[in-house]
Parts: sequence; structure tokens; C-alpha cells
Amino acid sequence: MLAEIGSAGLAILGAGISCGMVILGAGIGIGFIGGKSTEAIARQPQIGGRIVTAMIISAALIEGVTLFALVINFLAIFWMKG
Amino acid sequence: MLYSVVLAELDPLRPVIAAPLFRFSIGGYEIVFSNHMLMVTVAAVVLLIIIPLGVSRKSLMPRGWQNFVESLCVFLRDEVARPILGDNADRFIFFVWTIFFFILTMNLLGMVPTEAIYYLITKREERFGGGATANIWITGALAMVTFVLTHAVGIKEYGLLKYLSMLAPKVPWPILPLIYALEILSALVRPFALAVRLFANMLAGHIIFATFIGLILIFKNWFVAAGSVGAIIVMSCLELLIAFIQAYIFTLLSTLFISLALESEHG
Repeated sequence: MLAEIGSAGLAILGAGISCGMVILGAGIGIGFIGGKSTEAIARQPQIGGRIVTAMIISAALIEGVTLFALVINFLAIFWMKG
Repeated sequence: MLYSVVLAELDPLRPVIAAPLFRFSIGGYEIVFSNHMLMVTVAAVVLLIIIPLGVSRKSLMPRGWQNFVESLCVFLRDEVARPILGDNADRFIFFVWTIFFFILTMNLLGMVPTEAIYYLITKREERFGGGATANIWITGALAMVTFVLTHAVGIKEYGLLKYLSMLAPKVPWPILPLIYALEILSALVRPFALAVRLFANMLAGHIIFATFIGLILIFKNWFVAAGSVGAIIVMSCLELLIAFIQAYIFTLLSTLFISLALESEHG
């Protein structure tokens, strides 16, 4: 059955599944950051601003890694040769 | 189908890719001037006009535009440059400000639908606007600026051989080549990561926008149009936030790399 799909279909299938898994990882990671940072703000509210800044930076860095995977998926879908 | 060409497309990638505007030849090389290059130029001209307008009045209680520019500059100086660079903050503060405002302007100009407004006024389809930062070559060029600046500053401060020897911490000699190769690899991967982070964030935003609008063409339904436009409004607010955050992250990481190049001996 896999041989009938052809290589273009397989590439799109792989890209779809891998995007789902990458989003899973990113969601868990950023959710963890959000949870821990709210906990930290609850413990010491007066440095809330600095904690929010650190949270935004960490979330953007994790999002950057997520989007590497997105770019590789684009490469798989649109720039396959043959 | 009158508005389906520019305002909504079935192919979500077509509005995002650079379109050639005009070509000219210099020597034996043909140079294609694309709409993203035009947006970079427009961003530079816009910044050259509005930033001096913001700082020219020098009032002690800033209001309006001067307040906005000044608050961003003070934020970058006190939260990004001074904690990370320390004493060297004043040498590199111009670079920090320039790269932040430049990337922010290019991101925000990518959100302005100039082509759609032009189409609605003149009924002609021209691709002359778009997100310049949604182009890997432009973000790659910005990351290359950071890369060259980082290592040039390190080499100028310490000399070439001492700077190269500073790249690796003091470890026992059997694993020193391995650690050194790892440090060289990480120094090469960093600008790539900077470029891809900014590029992919902006590209993803534009593609989500184009996909939601294209859904209206596929379903041809009023309910889908209402839901789609609602989703677009929410996504556009998120994209504005992402524009600011990505400019800030690029600036923060560039400052961090400069401080890594300038620090005294590895501990």
C-alpha cells in the first residue's frame, strides 16, 4: 500500500505526522514554562515583571526550535527532487 | 471572483514568496530587484525619517511619539545592553538600537496590506509589498551582520590567535579537540539559528493568514467567511505581538553573542 502512494504522498504524510509530534513537544515545553513561571510569580509577586520577561524569552527560544522542524517539513514537501 | 486574485488565494505560499519587480544588469551579472528588497529599502527610509522626528524635541517630559521611541530605547539599554554587556554597553548600544528598530519596522511593514489596498483602488495587481523578514536571505543577511560583528569585535579586542584559543574552556588535553570542534560548530550554528527563528516565525504568520483567507475561496460560504475573518483578527493581534517579541529576541541573542566574544578568560 505504501508503494502505491508514491514518494510525493509519502513525503507529505511524513511531514504531517512530524509536524504533529513537534507541536506536541513544543506545547508540553512551553506549557511547563508557563506553569513554573506562574508558580514563581505566586511565590514572589514583586519580581513579576522579570519573571514574565524570562518566560517570554524562553517561550520564543523553544518556538524557534519548533519552527526549525517546520522549515524541514517545508523542505520535504516542496523541494523534493523526483 | 473580482477580488479573488489579491485578497484571497488558493495557494497560500504565493503571496509570501518574493516577486521580481525589475531586472538590471551590472557587468556580466543580472540582478533581480524583488519586492522584499523594496520593503527593506522602504523600512530603512521610514526609520531614517521617523526616528529623528522622535528624538529631535528633547523635552524632559516626553509625550507621544518621542515617548514611544525613548521608552523602547531606554528599555533596550537598561534591560538588554547594561545587564549583558556591562561596561561595554555604550560601545554597542547603537547596534542594539539599530537592529531592534530595523527588524521591528520590517516585521510591522509586513503586516500592512499595501497590495490589497492598491488593488481595491486601481483594480490592478502588482506585487510590491510584503514581509521582508519572511525571506530567508534577508534574515540570513541580518544574522551574518551579527556573526561578523561578534567575531570582529573579539578578534580586535584580543588578537586572532588569543581569540581562537579563548573559544574553548580549559579541559584536559585528550578531549580538547572534541570540545574545540563542538565550540566551532556552535559558533557556526548560532547565526543560522537566529536567521531561521526570525524567518520561520514571520513566514508562519503570513502563511496562516493566507490559508485562513483561502478557506473562504474553498468553501464559498458566509459562515466560513465570518469565522475566518474572526480568526484572522485574532491571529493578526498575535502576529503583532510576535513581531515585537521576535525583534527583541534577535536583539537579545545578538547582544549575548557579543558579550560571549568579549568576556575575559573562560572560567
